[in-house]
Amino acid sequence: MKKALSLALVVVLVLSLGLTGCAPKAEAPQGGEPAAQPASDVIKIGVFEPMTGANAAGGELEVEGIKLANKLYPEVLGKKVELVIVDNKSDKVEAATAAARLVEKDKVSAIIGSWGSSLSMAAGNIVKDAKVPAVGTSCTNPLVTQGNPFYFRVCFIDPFQGTVMSNYAFNKLGAKKAAIIQEVSNDYAVGLAKFFTDNFKKLTGDENCIVAVANYNTGDQDFTAQLTNIKAQNPDVIFAPGNFTESALLIKQARQLGIKTPFIGGDTWETPEFIEIGQDAVEGSVFSTFFATEKPITTESTKFLDAYRAEFPGKEPAAVTALAYDAYLIIIKAIEAAGTADSVKIQEALLATKDFQGAAGVVNFDENRNAVKSAVLKTVKEGKFTFMDVVEPIK
Amino acid sequence: MKRRNLILTAVFLLLSVIFLVYADNNFDSYIVRILNLCAIYTVLGLSMNLINGFTGLFSLGHAGFMAVGAYATAILTMSIETKQANFFLAPLISPLDKIVLPFLISLIIAGLIAVIVAYGIGAPALRLKGDYLAIATLGFAEIIRVVFTNTQRVTNGALGLKGIPSTTNLWWSFGIALFTVIVMISLINSSYGRAFKAIREDEIAAESMGINLFKHKVLSFMIGAFFAGVGGGLLGSLLGTIDPLMFRFFMTFNILLIIVLGGMGSISGTIISAFVITIATEWLRFLDEPIKLGFLTTPALPGLRMVVFSALLMVVVLFFRHGLMGTRELTWDMIFGFFNRKKPLTKGGTK
Repeated sequence: MKKALSLALVVVLVLSLGLTGCAPKAEAPQGGEPAAQPASDVIKIGVFEPMTGANAAGGELEVEGIKLANKLYPEVLGKKVELVIVDNKSDKVEAATAAARLVEKDKVSAIIGSWGSSLSMAAGNIVKDAKVPAVGTSCTNPLVTQGNPFYFRVCFIDPFQGTVMSNYAFNKLGAKKAAIIQEVSNDYAVGLAKFFTDNFKKLTGDENCIVAVANYNTGDQDFTAQLTNIKAQNPDVIFAPGNFTESALLIKQARQLGIKTPFIGGDTWETPEFIEIGQDAVEGSVFSTFFATEKPITTESTKFLDAYRAEFPGKEPAAVTALAYDAYLIIIKAIEAAGTADSVKIQEALLATKDFQGAAGVVNFDENRNAVKSAVLKTVKEGKFTFMDVVEPIK
Repeated sequence: MKRRNLILTAVFLLLSVIFLVYADNNFDSYIVRILNLCAIYTVLGLSMNLINGFTGLFSLGHAGFMAVGAYATAILTMSIETKQANFFLAPLISPLDKIVLPFLISLIIAGLIAVIVAYGIGAPALRLKGDYLAIATLGFAEIIRVVFTNTQRVTNGALGLKGIPSTTNLWWSFGIALFTVIVMISLINSSYGRAFKAIREDEIAAESMGINLFKHKVLSFMIGAFFAGVGGGLLGSLLGTIDPLMFRFFMTFNILLIIVLGGMGSISGTIISAFVITIATEWLRFLDEPIKLGFLTTPALPGLRMVVFSALLMVVVLFFRHGLMGTRELTWDMIFGFFNRKKPLTKGGTK
C-alpha cells in the first residue's frame, strides 16, 4: 500500500516536472519568431500587482483602475488589448519571477506595476534586460527608475512630495521649527522625511529648524514616548509620514497629551480608516496626494470619475486607482504613437510623451522617467477629506 | 555494487552538467530564473535541514541569517557608483563605501559573518529546547530585520538596495548547491554527523555517551548559518535588489515547507522538494486565472495556488508524518531495491 502510494507520488512529481519542462518547448515556436507577434490580433499588456499577501488591498485598488481603463479603451491600432494579470504575492522573489513570466512566457508588449517600490525594483533588471517598458503606478521610491531606461512611472516621487509639504509648512503655516515622526520601516516615509528636512532647512536658513526626529515601526501602537519628547521641544508643525493606521493613532495620542501642533503628512493618509481611527483628533490634518475627486484636473478625470461611479456605485475612487488607470492609458497612447506593439518602439514613444492628459493630472517625464505633475493638498474637515489646493510641479 | 553506484553517480552528474549547458543556451530567462531559484532553495533547505532535521533543533531564525548574508554580499559586490546612487539619504560608512570585492570572496565573507552572528545568538539560545528555541530564534530573525531597517548608513534602511550585480547564473547556483550537497553528505556521515543525529534522538543518552552537547549544537547551528548566508547572497544577486521586508517570517516558512515536505533529516528529500515546490509554485499559476471547464468558467481567484500547498502540508502532516523521504536517503541501492523486490512478486503472481 505504502509502496503504491509512494510510487503514485513519484509519478505525480515527475509528471509535474515534465509538464513544466514541456511548457517552454510548446511556447518556443511562438516566441521564436517575434515578427509573428504584431501580426496577431491582440496586444498583450502585463500587469503584476500584489493580489495576495501584505499589500493585497493596494494591489486590488490598482487592478480595479487598470480593468476600468481596459473597459473604456479596449482597443488600440484596431487590435484588442488583452490584460495578463499575475499575482506577485507581495513578495520580492515572486515579483521578479512574475515579471520574468510576463516578459518570456506571455510576451507582453509593456508592463504595468506595481504597488510598492520594492516589488517594482525587483522587476527592474528583468524589464531592462528584456527591453520591455514598464510603467509604475504608485511606486514613489526614487531608486525604481534610476538608471533603468525602461522603467517609467505616473506618480510623483518622494522628493517632490517632501518639498511640497515643507513649502506648505513654511509658507502657509508660517512654521519655523518642525518635528518629524517617521515610520522608519517604510521606505516611502523615510524618503519623504529626508526631503522635507532638506527643503525646510533651505527655506528657513536654519540648520537647527528640525527640533526632533522620532522613529516608529509598522504595527506600533503606543507613541507616547516619542510624543512626550517632541512636546518638550515645542515645534510649530509636526511632519508624520507613515502608514494610515499608525499615523491616526499617533495623532490621537498627541491630542490626548495636549499637543495642539498641526500635523501634516503624505498621500498614504487618504484612506477611510485614517478618519475612522483618528475621529476628531485628525481634524485639520493636512496632506498631499495625487488627485481630488471634487476637483477633476483634466477632462480625462471627469471621464474616469463617471465611469468609476457607474461601475462601483456608492464608492469613491482611491488615488492609486486613478494612477493605475493612467498607467494603462499612457501605454495605450504610446502604442498609438509608435504605431506598433514592438516594445522598444513603445519605450521610445513613452520617452517622447508630452503633456499626457491623465485622470490624475497632466504627466510629463523628467530625465529619470519620473512623472512631473501637480500635487493636491487635502485636509480633514468635519470627518471628510476636503480639497484645499493644487501645487504646481517644480520645473 | 559500490562501483556500480559510483559509475551511476558519475553518469548522473555528467547528465546534469549536460542539462545545465543545454539549459543555459536554450531556455529563456524565465525558466533559467526558476532553475536558479530551485538551486538556491536547495542550498537554503539543506542548511535549515542540518539544524532542524539532523540536529533536531527547532530553529526559525533562517531569514535572519539569509538577511545577513544577502546584505553582506550586496554591499561588498556593488560598485562604488552604485553605492553612491543607492545611499542618497545618508552616505555609506567608510570603509565599506570603497570596498568592492569579487563575488566568490563576498559570498564566503557573507557566510562567515552569518557564522559569527550564529555563534552570538546560538551560544545563549541553544540552551533552550523545543518551542522555546523556536521562539527565541524567531525573535532573533525579527531583531536582525529591525536592526537592518534602522542602520541606514550601512544597509540603506527601509529603502533597500538596488543594482546589486547580477552574477548569479546557473553555474553559480548549481555549483554552490552541489558543493552544499557534498559538504552535507560528508558531514552527516562523519563522527560529527552521528553526534548530531544522536542529539536529535535523545539528548541525555547522547550526553552520557560522551557527546559535548553545547559544542555540537553550536557547530550545527553555525554550519547551517554559513550556508544560509551564502544562499541569501545568491538570492540577492539573482534579484538585483533587497530590502529588510524581504526577510520576514514568511521567508523562513517557505524553507520550512520545503524541508517538512521533503523529510526532516533527508538530504535527497530536501533537494527533491526544493525543486518540486519551486517549480510547482510557478506551474500552478493557472489556478489563479479564470478556469474554463467546458461550459463552466470560474472567476479568477488569486491565491488559489497557495491553497494547494496548504492542503499538501496538511496531508503530509496527517498521513506522511515524516515527509516524502523521512530520514531515509534516495540512494541507487534503494532505487534498485524498489524495482527488484517487486519482480518476484509479479512472478509469483503469474505462476
